[in-house]
Amino acid sequence: MTWAWRVLLWAGGAAGLWWLKGTLGLFVVNLLLVYVVVAVGLNVLMGFTGQISAGHAGFLAVGAYVAALVGQHAPGLGVGWALLAAGTVSAVLGVVIGLPALRLAGFYIAMATLAFGVVVSEAILQLDAWTGGADGMYVLAPTWFGVSLETDEQKFWLVLAVAVLTVVTASNLARSKVGRALTALRESGVAAECVGISTPFYRTLAFVVSAFYTGMAGALFAYVVSYISPDAFSIELSIDFVAMVILGGMGSIGGSILGAALLTVLDQYLAAFQDFRALIFGLAVVVCMIALPNGLQGLFRAAGARLRG
Amino acid sequence: MRRAMGWLGVLAAGILGLAPLAGAETGVTDDTILVGTSQSFSGPLVFPGTEEVAGMEAYLEYVNANGGIHGRKIKWKWYDDGYKPQNAVANMKRLVEQDKVFAVLINQGTSPVLAVVPYLEQKKVPLFFPFQGSSRLHGKKYVFTSYTYYDTQTQIVTRWLLEKKGFERIGIIYQDDAYGKFFLGTLKKELEAKGLTVAAAESVKRGATDVSPQVAKMAAAGLDACLLALVPGPGAQVLKEAAKIGWKKTKLISSGPLTDEKFLILSGGVGEGVWGLSLWPDPVNSPLPAMKEYRDILKKYRPGHEPNRYNLYGYFYTKLFCDGLEAAGRNLTRDGLIAAMESMGRRENGIINPASFGPDDHQAQDDGFMVEVQGGRFVPISGWLAVRNGKLVETPLQR
Repeated sequence: MTWAWRVLLWAGGAAGLWWLKGTLGLFVVNLLLVYVVVAVGLNVLMGFTGQISAGHAGFLAVGAYVAALVGQHAPGLGVGWALLAAGTVSAVLGVVIGLPALRLAGFYIAMATLAFGVVVSEAILQLDAWTGGADGMYVLAPTWFGVSLETDEQKFWLVLAVAVLTVVTASNLARSKVGRALTALRESGVAAECVGISTPFYRTLAFVVSAFYTGMAGALFAYVVSYISPDAFSIELSIDFVAMVILGGMGSIGGSILGAALLTVLDQYLAAFQDFRALIFGLAVVVCMIALPNGLQGLFRAAGARLRG
Repeated sequence: MRRAMGWLGVLAAGILGLAPLAGAETGVTDDTILVGTSQSFSGPLVFPGTEEVAGMEAYLEYVNANGGIHGRKIKWKWYDDGYKPQNAVANMKRLVEQDKVFAVLINQGTSPVLAVVPYLEQKKVPLFFPFQGSSRLHGKKYVFTSYTYYDTQTQIVTRWLLEKKGFERIGIIYQDDAYGKFFLGTLKKELEAKGLTVAAAESVKRGATDVSPQVAKMAAAGLDACLLALVPGPGAQVLKEAAKIGWKKTKLISSGPLTDEKFLILSGGVGEGVWGLSLWPDPVNSPLPAMKEYRDILKKYRPGHEPNRYNLYGYFYTKLFCDGLEAAGRNLTRDGLIAAMESMGRRENGIINPASFGPDDHQAQDDGFMVEVQGGRFVPISGWLAVRNGKLVETPLQR
């Protein structure tokens, strides 16, 4: 991609966010950027190694509750440390889920991760002395070098910074030795093993990296919404995340960004349609899946190829 | 001195050009008032959500068809949150910052309501009558709550059983989460105050379909009464199981929102003799004139909806909100409406006991009456019951 294209893309993204702020509000922009981090993180798992996770709302919840508890019990701690804590706890759980998932393939991984999402919800309900159970808990604003990030504007810059960092690191990962190893595993496990790529190590690594990103996103989610409860992290949300990655285009980071943006905007915009929201949303996703087998990035690629002749 | 200050105020307002804008409150124009809400049009509570909205819309259309309030028609904006707190916050910010609503009316559910309250308080946007029964919203300046809190409901039922019925051995089947444990905790506290203990307690998982072990244990416990702190599905399952094994010695008592016609329909006619605490007259059969009016208005403006407790809720509390608007006068402001509500006094409504608010009391209802299922309907078996100054008091029902 040339520099000109890249500048144009970033400018287009910025313009899109500006438009969204005007129509649906800055809160939705923040939520969208949080979901971008999740979709890019999930893509590391799904797109790079082909393991479908239907339980990423679980990792999001873990990150969110860690950040909320850190804020409550260590209020002086900076936002960087809180994000790191949220990502790390989630990543450790990623190992716990990733190891047994090694013995599973395809849809069985999806089933195992789906169960993980349910278990997390149940655990939050049972640990109500810490989590507030079904009543949920309020989340204190994060602090950045002593400054409390209270407003949507302040939170926007935080979420934007993490989203950009996520996109940059994930793109670099894709182009590194690790990224190529993951892709090799997706295409053929046997061939990858033959050239000395350790399947258990890299498949678990993909889970860990993905869970880390999603855990961080969870912390951001908690800050943005300022209130969390198990109702926020339903199975539906996990499925939405999978849809974002598939709709964007498996394995493409640009695609994940587009997928997250499209589904979030659609979901929020349709809130005004009341009873018809779920129907229109479902139909739109089905149509996109049928019309765009390679996702949105496939569409852009095809358009680019045609432009170049 | 005070008069001088007043004139000074008028002068200042005149200079600032505010005088002609008096009453130019957000969401209020010369001939309209804009209200909004975020509701469950999808998700687990879609039935209560859409029914509440039907009741709200029916009453608002009725008001508008009769000239509105102080010459203003009421317009509305509803958004779906699917019972997700993040979407509830998104909708609320959209309503306040973009649509610029005057007030928020009847949203629903613990998570979506708790998620938005700090924001509304901060923006000083009043929230009227969210559909939820936890007492966590008590004492907020911009929030008016609706029905008797769940802990108060349990208090009323327990005291009535002990004091009026002479029961002693009371048990509970509760949902195994914060909601169910909340009822268990209140029951425990109430019984301990009388030197008693919970005679037996069994938990049921959310969404369980087999409750036979719990019912068998409770039936063997020799109870006078057993509270059911469950949602309609498992609640109805308990009634069926009890009928199957012939468990008749113990009075079964539905708690909180379980005292609902839907629960009876689900139990398929085996609910005869069950007791519960009702907050409302029977929406379908009540002969009270105000209840007939409700059914007529619902039928005229939302003909697809049968009368039930949820659209009655939407109707009744929208009406109460409109009474507040009426009392606030033509010069409508948010703070003015709150002040008007607080000083409205006791006003008969013909459906439940008069609601009255004060600066420290933003709760509309704090009572209920006991009912028994007879011929598939909830029939009253007590007067209005409330706990006031630590004592159970009973007053006659409206006739």
